[in-house]
Amino acid sequence: MQQRNHYKKIEDFLADESFQKWVREGKERENWEEWTVENPQRAKLVAEARLWVLATRVPEPTFSSAEISAALQASRDKIKSIEKEPTVHSIPLWRRAGWRSIAAVLVLGLALGWLFKRQTLTQDTLTYTALINQDTQGLIEQANNTHKPQLITLSDGSSVLLQPKSKLSYPKSFEGDERKVYLSGEGFFEISKNPKKPFFVFANEIVTKVIGTSFRVKAYTDQPSVEVVVRTGKVNVSSNQAITQLNNETVQLLPNQGVRFARKKLIFEKITDLTREKPDAQSVTTIEQLSFEFSDVPVAQILKTIEQAYLVEIDYPQEKLKDCYLTTSLSDQPLPEKLKIICESLGNTTRYEMNGNRITILSEGCN
Amino acid sequence: MINSSLTDEILWQRLKIGDELAFSALFERYYRSLINYGNSLSSYPERVQDCVQDVFVNLWLYRNTLSDNVVVKAYLLSSVRKRIARLHERDTIFRQTAPLDAVQFSLDFSIEDQLIADEETSAQVSQLNRLINALPPRQKEALYLRYHQGLTIEQIGEMLDINHQSVSNLLHRCIQHLRKEWKGDLTLLFVLFSRIL
Repeated sequence: MQQRNHYKKIEDFLADESFQKWVREGKERENWEEWTVENPQRAKLVAEARLWVLATRVPEPTFSSAEISAALQASRDKIKSIEKEPTVHSIPLWRRAGWRSIAAVLVLGLALGWLFKRQTLTQDTLTYTALINQDTQGLIEQANNTHKPQLITLSDGSSVLLQPKSKLSYPKSFEGDERKVYLSGEGFFEISKNPKKPFFVFANEIVTKVIGTSFRVKAYTDQPSVEVVVRTGKVNVSSNQAITQLNNETVQLLPNQGVRFARKKLIFEKITDLTREKPDAQSVTTIEQLSFEFSDVPVAQILKTIEQAYLVEIDYPQEKLKDCYLTTSLSDQPLPEKLKIICESLGNTTRYEMNGNRITILSEGCN
Repeated sequence: MINSSLTDEILWQRLKIGDELAFSALFERYYRSLINYGNSLSSYPERVQDCVQDVFVNLWLYRNTLSDNVVVKAYLLSSVRKRIARLHERDTIFRQTAPLDAVQFSLDFSIEDQLIADEETSAQVSQLNRLINALPPRQKEALYLRYHQGLTIEQIGEMLDINHQSVSNLLHRCIQHLRKEWKGDLTLLFVLFSRIL
C-alpha cells in the first residue's frame, strides 16, 4: 500500500482495485479515508478520481449460482459430446446388453409432394446428378427399377436396402478416411462401425454423417424437402456446403427427433410430430418395423425375419438347424454382420455365402 | 470442493493436468465477468453465453497445449473477444450488410446513484458520465479493460492489437480530454491540478 503515496494521476487511483472498492463499497480496509485527508493535494486528486468511479458504473449481470451451475453443466455436456465423437469404440461383444444403444437413424426426404403441389425447385438445389459429377472416386451406380426393395452390400460390410425408383452411387472400395455415397430416392442404410472412417450420405442438399448406425434416407430430386429422423442414438445432419455457405449449420439429432430441410428456403425446420409425419405405411412391413431382438428363438424364425426385412432368400439346412435356438440382438448391424453373428453363435462349423440377394448358410448343426 | 482462495495460477496449473475441479472453479470465478464483457461486444446474449461456454470447452479440450505463463483473466477475456469477433465477421460476410467492421464495444457506463448524496456531486458525475459514454468505442473498451477488469496496459495492447505505448497514450489522452471538457465547478480545481502534474 506504500505505492499509493506516489500516485500522481487519477489513472493511478482508478487502476487501484482497493481504491475502487473503497469508493463503491465503502470498504475501509486500507484506511483510504485517513490517508486521503493527510494531504490536501492528495485529497483533491482523490475527490476527482472518486467522481470517475461514480460515473463509470458497469452494470453486472445478475446470475444466480444456479444459472452459473447450469452454464457449467452445459459446457461439460459440450465437452462430453465432443470427446465422445472420435473415440466411439469398435463393436462391443454382441452378447453384451449395452451394445444395442448404438445409433439407428432414419432419414427421410419426405414425400411432401403428396401435400404440396410439386414445386419447381430453384437452380440452387443440388441434385443427385450434380453430386455424383463432383465425385472423382469412380462410382458404381445401382438403380432399382423393380417394385421391391433391393439389397446392396458395400465393400465395408455396410448394407443398403434401396427402394424402388431409387439410385445409389458408391465407390467400389472406400479409399481415404471417409466413406461417401450418394442417394437419389430412398434407402435404408445399415453402416458398419468404423470411427476412423465416418460415413456420409449425400442426398440432395443435405449431408448425413454417421460413424456406424442404421437409418433411412428418402430424398427425391423432384420433391421440395429432405427429412432426417433418428430412431436411436445420434447423428449429425448438415446442409451441403456447396449450396449453403451462408448458414452451414449442423443439426444433431437424438432419438425420436427429426428435422426437415426445405430445399427452396435452404433451412432446417424441426419436425414436431414424428408419428404423423410418417408416410402412410404401406401394407408391407418395412425393416424398421421388424424386431431383431431375439430371445430363445428358433434360428429358422430369425432367418425368416431377415428374409422379410432384406428381401433376400436364405437357403439353410433346415433339418440340421431345427433344434437350434438363439438369444441375440441384431437390431443395429448391417446384414453381413447379422449373418456373421448368427453363424458364429451356431458354432464354428457354420458359415454363410452371399450372392446378390441369395444367401446360403452352410452348417453341420449347432453346438 | 476446491478452495476458492486458490490463485488463478494454481488453478491453471491444475487445469492443465486435467483437474476438473480446477476447471469448475475457474468457470465459476470468471463466468460472470466474461458474460458481462461479451455482452458489451454483442447484442445477442444467447450467443455470448455460447461463446463464453465454448471458450471454456476449448480450454478443457486443449488443456495439454495451454502455455504456462498466462494471466488467466486476460487470456479468458481475450478468447471471448476473439470468438465474438469471429462470429461477427462471419455474419457480416454472409449477410453482406455492413462493411467488414470489427466488433464494437457498446457498453454504456452508468452512475452509482446510491452512492451520491449531494446534488453537486450528482451534477458533476452525470456530466462526466455523459462525456465518457460519448468516447469512441475503442477508448471506452480500453477504459473498461483497464479499470474494470484490471488488465495491464500490455494485456490490453495484445487484446486490441495495438502496441502498449498506444494504449497508454490512448488512456491518458482520453482522460485528459475528458478533464478539459469537463467544465463546471471543478474548473478551478483543474487549473490547480495541471500545475501539480
